[in-house]
Amino acid sequence: MLLDPRSKMIMVICISSLALIYNTPARLLQLLLVTLVLLFIFSFNLRVIAGYLKPFVFLMFFLFVVQSIFSPGDRVILALGPVSLISIEGVLAGATVVLRLLVITAAAMLFTTFSSRDFILGLVQWKVPYEIAFMVSTALRFLPLFRDELKNVLTAIQLRGVDLKKVPWGKKMVMYRRLTFPVVYRNMLKAEQLAIAMEARAFRAYPQRTYLRQLNLQRVDYVVILLSLLVTFILIMRYIG
Amino acid sequence: MESCNEAVVVQALTYQYHASGPFILRDIGFRIDRGEVVVITGLSGCGKSTLCLCISGLIHHHRNGVISGKIILNGKDTRGMRGPALALEVGMVFQDPDTQLFSPAVEDEIAFAPENLCLPPEQIQERVNNVIDTLGLAALRHANPYYLSGGEKHLVALAAVLALDPPVLILDEVLSQLDSLGKKRVIATLEILRDKGKTIIAVEHNLEALAFADRFMVLEAGKLIRFDRTEKILADQDFLMTRRLV
Amino acid sequence: MFLELRQVGFSYPQKTSPAVIGINLSLKKSGITAIVGPNGSGKSTLTKLMLGILPASEGQIYLEGRNITEYSLAEAGRRIGYVSQNPDLQLFCASVAEEIAFGLVNQGCDVATLEERVNFYLDYFELAAYRKSFPLHLSQGEKQRLAIAAVLANEPEYLILDEPTNGLDAYRKRLLEEYLHKVAELGRGILLVSHDIAFVDRMAERIIALANGQIQSDSNQRGEGYLCY
Ligand SMILES: Nc1ncnc2c1ncn2[C@@H]1O[C@H](COP(=O)(O)OP(=O)(O)OP(=O)(O)O)[C@@H](O)[C@H]1O
Ligand SMILES: Nc1ncnc2c1ncn2[C@@H]1O[C@H](COP(=O)(O)OP(=O)(O)O)[C@@H](O)[C@H]1O
Ligand SMILES: [Mg+2]
Ligand SMILES: [Mg+2]
Repeated sequence: MLLDPRSKMIMVICISSLALIYNTPARLLQLLLVTLVLLFIFSFNLRVIAGYLKPFVFLMFFLFVVQSIFSPGDRVILALGPVSLISIEGVLAGATVVLRLLVITAAAMLFTTFSSRDFILGLVQWKVPYEIAFMVSTALRFLPLFRDELKNVLTAIQLRGVDLKKVPWGKKMVMYRRLTFPVVYRNMLKAEQLAIAMEARAFRAYPQRTYLRQLNLQRVDYVVILLSLLVTFILIMRYIG
Repeated sequence: MESCNEAVVVQALTYQYHASGPFILRDIGFRIDRGEVVVITGLSGCGKSTLCLCISGLIHHHRNGVISGKIILNGKDTRGMRGPALALEVGMVFQDPDTQLFSPAVEDEIAFAPENLCLPPEQIQERVNNVIDTLGLAALRHANPYYLSGGEKHLVALAAVLALDPPVLILDEVLSQLDSLGKKRVIATLEILRDKGKTIIAVEHNLEALAFADRFMVLEAGKLIRFDRTEKILADQDFLMTRRLV
Repeated sequence: MFLELRQVGFSYPQKTSPAVIGINLSLKKSGITAIVGPNGSGKSTLTKLMLGILPASEGQIYLEGRNITEYSLAEAGRRIGYVSQNPDLQLFCASVAEEIAFGLVNQGCDVATLEERVNFYLDYFELAAYRKSFPLHLSQGEKQRLAIAAVLANEPEYLILDEPTNGLDAYRKRLLEEYLHKVAELGRGILLVSHDIAFVDRMAERIIALANGQIQSDSNQRGEGYLCY
């Protein structure tokens, strides 16, 4: 569906706000379903969604376990002698945290349905100064690329014959410590080099700038924006009230 | 602005990346006329890229660097000129293809410079289309530059600078990673640009690749050892042999 | 056969069309082979598949009879020295000397041999003056030589070099050629990827031409590989 990126940004903000306010697994589950349906409408298939969420699985599981154990509750499921380990309340609290994270990451996927250049356009057309829009979008875009970089370095190290899985922990820590500085420094160099490249192509030559493309809010965008805001408002009111 | 025929004038240029480090450029001086094509060559590490960065004014980003001497571009002294203002005088394609692309699509990358020049959208579109046609990038138009092959990246970087349309163009070893078709296209493009009166400075190791150049500049360990007409240098086998350039 | 590829194909996740497709190829343990082809024809992708840096989406790759997926990156890297197209991506140490020593140190090489080899490679590739420099502060051609030296220092039995002449001047190219010929004479194999036609012509006994991710020709005659290139 061809929606203006700004409409999608509003939707993401609405869904995330709801996710932060809702505090029961049932509500969050409903919200997750709605989000998935939205993603489906924006022609995501399940495989892409799963691939996108995969890196977070471990984190979520970890959070779930930690939350389950450390949230106190009366209805004990698993106890170690006199110490209660897991209670129903704990499990529910764990589920809440994980579902909340799922909803937010799923909603954030809507950002991937338009290019970062459209994101900049959206912000600029809402009167955000273009320098700031570029800064924000570049930062957002380079987070995943930073991960790629790290992977590249780890690959390079292994290709030189170091089996990271087999190196004992003590030795590994020593190696990582020695590599930290060059790896961090190289990313600084790269960031600086990119800033130079932008400047070399006349970035910030003038206080204004024009754009190849133009974003136009269509009637459907106004409808989507208004509807999202209204529904979110009503839901929040009902939940609180 | 004084009228002058010289695109680049360098006088007594000396450079160190660090005050206590070695001299990377030593007392370099030369003049390049408007519309000239000049090839810079020399052993790896002799200071070619550093010289290019000095001419384009981007060397100031190396905060520890120590520079002395004078660089005049199109009649303007570059000392104290702001980076973006310099970009209106000179464009540069860097040697490393990986660290000069930052847009989500090739088209956006090429549009970036004309957008900064505040051109109206129709003119931006026209420039983008022209550049894409001349360099044969149509198939990559919507690709993400981050995920291109090495040669493709260099071609896109060149395209992005061509769209800036600066009077002086610097290419730092751009031909080396291109396939034969890409090389031909770039050389043909450079010839057209020269005929339009652009000044072109290209770093290159393969002496035959840019034989259409007017003059060759040879650097050795930071010194300019020869700056002469192409025919003369290419015919001087003795010189090329002793300087280990062939 | 040292490396054997059967019906190998690979698609990048962001792309609709495959980067390489239906590759059948056998590489002997000795001899110099070159891969040539236009930009984006899949040369670098193919070399990354051979090392297991990228997993083949179709077909099998065997390194000395064992499927490459059964090797860890480190095992593959110890057998096949790999220099990637952009040397920046494989330099990660704090100094030039450390960079060359890295692989040896981790293989438990003794101090005397280590010292000797590091010095040898620093001298041969004319990097001795930069021994203490930070690798990413070198010029592009120096980085290229360093990346090559760091891999050669491990003395792997096979070498894959992706555009090794990038940034090298004629003289350094000759030094590299001489060294690689010496390596080849010791019975170790080399696979080159290059756009440098003269270099390929001087080096390779076998030339494989790639286009659109497919093998167009595979010939033992010098110069012939370019017919379609
Ligand atoms: N990381 C990546 N993600 C997505 N696509 C990629 C990636 N790397 C390369 N490609 C694409 O795959 C194709 C083959 O790329 P590859 O790097 O193998 O080409 P190549 O033959 O080595 O080219 P060159 O001569 O320019 O180095 C190209 O179309 C390229 O754009
Ligand atoms: N950022 C830097 N910091 C310190 N030294 C550098 C830096 N960049 C290049 N050098 C050194 O300056 C010399 C010239 O480099 P460069 O101009 O890139 O050479 P080339 O002629 O190969 O383009 C080299 O010896 C290199 O090691
Ligand atoms: Mg250079
Ligand atoms: Mg390649």
